[in-house]
Amino acid sequence: MSTNNMSDPRRPNKVLRYKPPPSECNPALDDPTPDYMNLLGMIFSMCGLMLKLKWCAWVAVYCSFISFANSRSSEDTKQMMSSFILTPLSCLRLSISAVVMSYLQNPQPMTPPW
Amino acid sequence: MKAFHTFCVVLLVFGSVSEAKFDDFEDEEDIVEYDDNDFAEFEDVMEDSVTESPQRVIITEDDEDETTVELEGQDENQEGDFEDADTQGDTESEPYDDEEFEGYEDKPDTSSSKNKDPITIVDVPAHLQNSWESYYLEILMVTGLLAYIMNYIIGKNKNSRLAQAWFNTHRELLESNFTLVGDDGTNKEATSTGKLNQENEHIYNLWCSGRVCCEGMLIQLRFLKRQDLLNVLARMMRPVSDQVQIKVTMNDEDMDTYVFAVGTRKALVRLQKEMQDLSEFCSDKPKSGAKYGLPDSLAILSEMGEVTDGMMDTKMVHFLTHYADKIESVHFSDQFSGPKIMQEEGQPLKLPDTKRTLLFTFNVPGSGNTYPKDMEALLPLMNMVIYSIDKAKKFRLNREGKQKADKNRARVEENFLKLTHVQRQEAAQSRREEKKRAEKERIMNEEDPEKQRRLEEAALRREQKKLEKKQMKMKQIKVKAM
Repeated sequence: MSTNNMSDPRRPNKVLRYKPPPSECNPALDDPTPDYMNLLGMIFSMCGLMLKLKWCAWVAVYCSFISFANSRSSEDTKQMMSSFILTPLSCLRLSISAVVMSYLQNPQPMTPPW
Repeated sequence: MKAFHTFCVVLLVFGSVSEAKFDDFEDEEDIVEYDDNDFAEFEDVMEDSVTESPQRVIITEDDEDETTVELEGQDENQEGDFEDADTQGDTESEPYDDEEFEGYEDKPDTSSSKNKDPITIVDVPAHLQNSWESYYLEILMVTGLLAYIMNYIIGKNKNSRLAQAWFNTHRELLESNFTLVGDDGTNKEATSTGKLNQENEHIYNLWCSGRVCCEGMLIQLRFLKRQDLLNVLARMMRPVSDQVQIKVTMNDEDMDTYVFAVGTRKALVRLQKEMQDLSEFCSDKPKSGAKYGLPDSLAILSEMGEVTDGMMDTKMVHFLTHYADKIESVHFSDQFSGPKIMQEEGQPLKLPDTKRTLLFTFNVPGSGNTYPKDMEALLPLMNMVIYSIDKAKKFRLNREGKQKADKNRARVEENFLKLTHVQRQEAAQSRREEKKRAEKERIMNEEDPEKQRRLEEAALRREQKKLEKKQMKMKQIKVKAM
């Protein structure tokens, strides 16, 4: 059965379902930004909490925001509960708690380094 | 109820704040025994401060006025106590009373002669001033965060509007060509969702299927990360475009065996390095397409000259010249397997699975500053895609071309086998050794000495048989050679 230009090119009997591409190695290859920012955020918030440095805590909040904005594949979480979204949220919580704790312990404003 | 809660929280916060301030006070050198009797406490402090520490400043004014006492770490609440202590029959204050009536100008002299210590008027440090201005860094930080959140919302909305505009422009063309437009793989039945899949805040997918020649078409709208402020700032330095990536998977019988690519020179160089099939089959550098009438910005990578001749018919050339600024790369291949995978050491791999695919990458005009109406400019490119699908089905290599193509593929496979030969041999060797070791262990672990001896004998016999076989083979080869 040949198809000429006038006839309908659609073939309902040849429909293939969409298969999401296998994502074992892809996430790591695509873009490491959210992972780096996550790690940085965790480190800075720990520093801020332990060493009572306010600027560390603020940088941690920024890092967790950036990580959240760059996070990948919002669909997976509904199905797989993977760590893609869980870690950015936990980083955000940790960094906000670092900021709040450092202000409760020492309510004085930050001094600029200059 | 809510107001009560917030009031409690505020109280708590203030309580902890003032507690912190008390901590500062207590940590200082002159630790005073905290008595219920406020006066006793402050009497001691006053004496000590007058005689011992010159840093603590007590400035007293007229009795009628409020006494303002400035001490390090003292709260203004404690002013009242000082005032009371001052006026309530403190013996120390009497000499002051006399001198105070002499007037203002004598005061500095008298107080200085009384103290014998220089009065240093200390500026109240910024962190003790209870004004909002001293928290300017914090306010800056919070403003920065708010700006980031605003940008996130605005960027997300813009990307979503662009995606919707693209889909609205292209919907008709797609629906007339494909049965299934839009599928996310979750529904039980294959019905068109008629919507884009949002993978991310900046990536949208669309799967179309149900057409002659091809299995399906995956369109990916890769927008810029407008939701990330850092990215927005980085883009101000280096303008980048949104991209539309289209991947058409062809049926095996509908495409002949060739590898071919057309696009900007930079894109082709990058693809040649990254893509498995292009690096193996198209070893030459990208050639100029001027021979076929293409503009200078585009170059061609091809397996054989015949393929280029076949592909560059008038209509294709027309498409390429007219929309050259929007085309990043066009890649047809029957050996497409994705980018090169970095192989681990010592792991023999099979040749990666290949699929016959047509890949298109288009740049959205505007180089970052796109508006929804720019999406209409991409519609002719989709026409080109459809045309290419039909063309790929029609185009067949002649006999010579087919032979060359088959030779190329055989050569590539052989190379691959050679490369992995050593690794495969090593793997086989290690497997054999493992088996031997397992056997020996079994023999050792056998408790019954009789059985042990018998197993050992059996193993020995097997070894001897193997050796004999090998010797026979060598002899046979020698005979054949002669």
